[in-house]
Order: sequence, then C-alpha cells, then structure tokens
Amino acid sequence: MKRWLLLIYRIPRQPTAGRVFVWRKLKQLGAIALQDAAWVLPNSPRTQEQFQWLAAEITELQGEAFLCDAEQLYATDVEGLRRQFMEAVEAEYNEILSAVKSKERELTTLGKRFQEALSRDFFGSQLAQQVRETLLQAGEESAC
Amino acid sequence: MKWTTWENVGVDRIGCAWLILREIDPQAEFIFIPRNGPIPADAEPFDIPGVRFSHHGGHCTFHELLKQHQLTDPILHRMARIIDEADTVQAVQLEPASVGLDLICEGLRRISPDDQTAIEQGRIVYDALYARLCDETGSRS
Repeated sequence: MKRWLLLIYRIPRQPTAGRVFVWRKLKQLGAIALQDAAWVLPNSPRTQEQFQWLAAEITELQGEAFLCDAEQLYATDVEGLRRQFMEAVEAEYNEILSAVKSKERELTTLGKRFQEALSRDFFGSQLAQQVRETLLQAGEESAC
Repeated sequence: MKWTTWENVGVDRIGCAWLILREIDPQAEFIFIPRNGPIPADAEPFDIPGVRFSHHGGHCTFHELLKQHQLTDPILHRMARIIDEADTVQAVQLEPASVGLDLICEGLRRISPDDQTAIEQGRIVYDALYARLCDETGSRS
C-alpha cells in the first residue's frame, strides 16, 4: 500500500454551504492542504474509505473529485509531510494538557477532545500516552 | 434477491445486511466483490459510491435504506444515527455507542474467515443493539 492518499476537487462557488461542508469535513478528518490545491491523508483502509465517501459527496454537490495514492509527494523534503501531521496533532494534545491545568477545566469536554485528536494521530505521537495519563489522573483527583 | 457490496465489510455494511434480512428481503443472498470491481448485473448494489443505496447527504447507507424503503421504526432510525456517527464525519456526536460498535464490527471482520461469516456473526450484535435500544425507549415513555 502506498503511503499517501490525495484528494483533488473542485466544487461550485455557490451555494457556499457545500464548499464549507467539504472544507469542514477535510479538517475533521485531519487532512492537510498542499498549496491549496490538493488534500492529503496518510493511506490506510480507513482513510481510503473516508476520502472515497467525501469524493462521492463532492460529486453529489455538483463538484468534481480525483482521488489517487502516491508513495512520495515532496521531492525535496521526504519527512516534511509526516512532520506536518505530527505537529498538527501535537498542537491539539498540548492545548488539552494546558487546559487540564486550568481552574475552569471541563474534564468531560477535554476527554472528548482527546478522543477526537486521537482519530487524527496517524503516526502515533508519544504525547498521546501523556495526555491519556494526565486526564486519567485528573479524573481520579476530582473523584476524591 | 441478490445483493452485492465491496468485500471487507465494516459497521455500515454489516448493519445494512442485518437490516435487509430483517426488514427488506429475508431471503437476501449476498455477493462480495473486490473494491472498484464490476457490479454483477443480477444483483442490487449497496454501499458502493454512486449507486442508489449508498451515502447521500452526509448520511450512511443504512440511513438511505431506511429512507428509500420508508421504514419508520424509531429504533431503526436511532441505529441509523449511531452508524452515521461511526461511519461518517458528523458535526455533533450524540451516540456514545457508535465508537464501540465501529470497533466491534472491524474486529468481527478480522476474526471471520470471510465476509459472509462476518455479516452472519454481526447479526447478533445488531439484534442485541436493537433490543437494548427498545428498552431505552420503553423506559422513557
């Protein structure tokens, strides 16, 4: 299986709701935009399915979508893309870690945010375990 | 009647097979074809991009089957929401069961020798979910 999945699409300018819908979904999936032209996700059966359905939805919205897989995307910096995915999810983890320290923390919400971030953690960040333990510990403390 | 879908079934397709056998076509026979492979002419395709019974308007195929067969059982609609949250990207998550159901269905496929076995084994999971959701509705009314 090749490393990357690429979604290239075009969608009518109007109605804007359709464009926003697709953009939100891409963000939620954790896809990264390459020069505003193509969106990329690490290739797996799950991401393949997610992109494939999104492509179908784009078609339904009178747009046009291309889906392809690739082994190499950056000719100059092979690890660059991997790093971008890592940085994006680690920013989310760090936000959760600092939110746990705040007085007005909402552990239920933070737990949810952690689960969402995990779904975008494609390369297994070391921080995930730390966030999990911090949240578990905070949960124990608030129970006693 | 023959029904066909891509091989390697997951949460939506195991649910669809259960729904088809329960509400639409108790004699249904399922054929599993490779991803992007040709669709047999004598079979009704489902959960394949571009066909009638597929994802539409941001909803899963289970949801579309309910809609097109005008099935109104509220429990089935609740199940459609759970599968929607498991299988598609939804702005709000209201169903805690969806994550677990998704994992269980993935695991079911993994422990089954083939897709046919996976949908057969999956029926008990969906029967159990249905029964439990009936309870919940009962206790509220």
